[in-house]
Amino acid sequence: MNSAAVAGYGEEAILVASGIEKTFDRTRALAGADLELRAGEVHGLLGANGAGKSTLSKVISGHVQRDAGRLVYKGRPLALRSTREALEAGIAIVMQETSLAPDLSVLENIFLPELGRPGLLSYGSMRRRAVGLLANLGHEHVLPLDREVARLSAAQRQLVEIAKALALDADLIIFDEPTASLSPSEVERLFDIMAKLRDDGRALIFVSHRLEEVFAITDRVTIMREGATVAASQPTASLTQAEVIRHMVGRDIGALYATPGLQEEDERAPAVFSVENLAAPPAVRNVSFFVRRGEILGLGGLVGAGRSETAEAIFGLRPRSAGTIRLEGREIAPRKPADAVRAGIGFVAEDRRVQNIVPDLSVKENLLLAHLGAHRGFGLGYRRRRQKVEELMAALGLPAERLLDANMLNFSGGMQQKIIIARWLLLEPKVLILDEPTKGVDIGTRQAIYGILRRIADEGVAVVVISSDFEELLGVCERVVVMSDGNAIADLPSALLDEEKLTLLAAPRTSMTRNTEVLTALSGECGGVGFWALLDEDRLLCLNSVVADPAAAPGFAAGEAKRLADTRIPAALARRGGDFVTEPDGSRATLLVPVTSRRGHDLGWIGLTLPGEAARPAAERVRERIEALNAEAG
Amino acid sequence: MQKQADPMTETSRSPARSPGRSAAAAGEGRLLKQLATSLELRMLGLALVIGAVLSLLSPYFLTESNIFNILDQSVVIGILSIGMTFVILTGGIDLSVGSVAGLSGIVLGLALKDYPIPVAILLGVLTGAGVGLVSGILIGYFRLAAFVVTLGMMAIGRSLAYIFSGQTAISGFPSDLSSIVYTDVFGIPTNVLFLGFAYLLAWGYLTYTKGGRTIYAIGSNKEAARAAGLGVLFYSILPYVVSGALAAVAITFSVAQILSVDPLTGNGMELDAIAAVVIGGASLYGGRGSIVGTLIGVLIMVMIRNGLNLLGVSPFWQGSAIGSIIIMALLVERLVRARSER
Repeated sequence: MNSAAVAGYGEEAILVASGIEKTFDRTRALAGADLELRAGEVHGLLGANGAGKSTLSKVISGHVQRDAGRLVYKGRPLALRSTREALEAGIAIVMQETSLAPDLSVLENIFLPELGRPGLLSYGSMRRRAVGLLANLGHEHVLPLDREVARLSAAQRQLVEIAKALALDADLIIFDEPTASLSPSEVERLFDIMAKLRDDGRALIFVSHRLEEVFAITDRVTIMREGATVAASQPTASLTQAEVIRHMVGRDIGALYATPGLQEEDERAPAVFSVENLAAPPAVRNVSFFVRRGEILGLGGLVGAGRSETAEAIFGLRPRSAGTIRLEGREIAPRKPADAVRAGIGFVAEDRRVQNIVPDLSVKENLLLAHLGAHRGFGLGYRRRRQKVEELMAALGLPAERLLDANMLNFSGGMQQKIIIARWLLLEPKVLILDEPTKGVDIGTRQAIYGILRRIADEGVAVVVISSDFEELLGVCERVVVMSDGNAIADLPSALLDEEKLTLLAAPRTSMTRNTEVLTALSGECGGVGFWALLDEDRLLCLNSVVADPAAAPGFAAGEAKRLADTRIPAALARRGGDFVTEPDGSRATLLVPVTSRRGHDLGWIGLTLPGEAARPAAERVRERIEALNAEAG
Repeated sequence: MQKQADPMTETSRSPARSPGRSAAAAGEGRLLKQLATSLELRMLGLALVIGAVLSLLSPYFLTESNIFNILDQSVVIGILSIGMTFVILTGGIDLSVGSVAGLSGIVLGLALKDYPIPVAILLGVLTGAGVGLVSGILIGYFRLAAFVVTLGMMAIGRSLAYIFSGQTAISGFPSDLSSIVYTDVFGIPTNVLFLGFAYLLAWGYLTYTKGGRTIYAIGSNKEAARAAGLGVLFYSILPYVVSGALAAVAITFSVAQILSVDPLTGNGMELDAIAAVVIGGASLYGGRGSIVGTLIGVLIMVMIRNGLNLLGVSPFWQGSAIGSIIIMALLVERLVRARSER
């Protein structure tokens, strides 16, 4: 590496990565990735699942060693052998699944890198510095320094990670999908912090696949596809969402999902599988849903909402404290996975390496593992499945001879996932639950997996898909059950949802409490019903509601979507005027106030419905009250 | 690394037939490659090298009577190592086999005074299996660490052996007992025959049955095995029962040979068994290893000891020699594997 190679880039470039390559086993994670980063910018790193954005982040942060390519940091070639060297150079990463020590306190975690240095620690000076750092972020009061990290919320943990990066005085901070487990208001606060760090002259990389957020916070974006950079350092303002998607996917997104329309006639298909009031504390509190024959149901929500735990509780991997599970009308109560498997339930768990692959068994035995679980008898009974195995192999495009491969880890992530799915298809289950089925899978395989799911659904299998990728969820599923803090809070057709609505619905109860406080205060002061809803042309999606006076019930409840005409306050919802609107029948009067976040993001409407005969406060006063309450709840 | 003969060879062969010769040839190439990279084969090579070296050093080593000697000396440790293989395949360890062998031997010795031989043997085996069951439940159901549980059982077993025996050797057994060792079938001693039969049975079980494959799956990835509906609890406990029972069986052959048993019987045998299994290619993390490898490991251990005796090496030096060979074997294996995986 010589300085001439660097000279081509702008003076402000703090980091230049070019031609980075990385292969894990046989999976080519990076195949010529480029990234150029300036001080004082938030740089979006975009790409679909498996595009290599996380791997590139880890190469830059020293977690992963590159096979080929150049890294130039502050004008000098960078050769990182460990994360420690990266930290010393001033490069920090805030990871999706945080890298904190859960049993240590907040304070100890913030200064974790210093615990490795020789010499005594001064808790006094650490405490002073920590308070200073948090004050700088504007969060000096929200983080109790002595609390164990295990007891913090996801947002608080992230704050600890950020403080940790600042304690090292990092100049380059990578945020790897930081918003996956945050509610919309927490995301706003994170963005405020990021903006502040940028204004201090630091360089920030923001890894995400949520386009709304990318457009909200980044200055420039680099887009990756299948391990390579396909669009480098484009100013965000010069791009449209459609262009970004085209770069990410490399073709029209329409081809990826065969999105079904809103099919009313499907409603007559019988519910094959249902769960009522399922509880498995602490992660699952109250979950009910049903799946029709031939339907793909989505289970949506933020990371930590209890979706995986719900699937595990159904499957007998986690003890249940309450709830009924019915399969084809018969009640079942699996106490261990073997019970669930024999009843006809299949479960593709989230973590391939930890929960699915048995690395010391051959590919064939991995494929037949669930068969072995369902098999009664002393021998193996493999022969009985022979024909079905051959059919599946052909359907998956896997050469038969590779069945004998000793090590499944030699396959690409996509192929591994197909084999794991095939493991369950082999048993011809009545219900198949898949947890993040396309995590870390290339785009071609993703499409193949969607095809498989569609096909088995058409064959009559009830399919449940858990995914944090809302776009995928809405593209694949006919219907989505939204979970938040262990509760199923909405059950809506995908056609009525979009990513933004889903994000607002999925907000954790902790952030919803603030809104509930606002609505409670409002309906308490004025009587009637307070609600928070998103309004479309002719439909409404109610996010929250508090009823003080049942006589004013507007005809919808939290988590419900309705046509405006089907509610009891159609006139008010249609008009959306600045004053109380009385329905033609005089039964109810409703005031609607639009709410926006501090960044000017549209958050829908807060409404107050009063019984027709009740005395009405001045609209202006109510509006002021709502705005004041909202500001307080922040 | 090739681990096991594939249980589905029939299915796997048939698709190769239709595409014609090239696919069949490719299959053969794969098989050869697997054999060449097979750990068992490399260890068998090591066994042959050790045998060749010892036969050069001592002219007596390769005589028929010494070969039978080696086989005879392999019986006790060989049987113990089968149980240890089961346990290690699940990712566990059984440190108690030596003292369980001692305790079962004492129970056998005491029972021989009042009961006919078969009943006495059965009581001994039940004792071993019972101790194994307790360990297995503590490890499988209560999820205690195998190392700690079996370390505790090791102390308890030895202590009970002393108490039951009244701290003295027991002898004066009916000489009929020795017939399980000192009779031949087609010129092969019955105890060696039993050893061969036990290995065949264990190999068949681990390769061709649901239980055997479950044991591998548990050691390789317990969580995945559970999620696939395999009987993880039962097959986590079973290996300890097998190990305890086989410890008792092994010591029965030893007692039959010398017609005496003392409370120190079996002392240190667990280490020989663990060493044999590990030399045979098993991973202490579980999931990797085979019964064939264990048999080779046993033969290597016994050959070295036998050879050192023939060469008149002081028993005090033998420990150092065996220890070094075990460590060297594993070191070479690790280096070879690191290269082949690169």
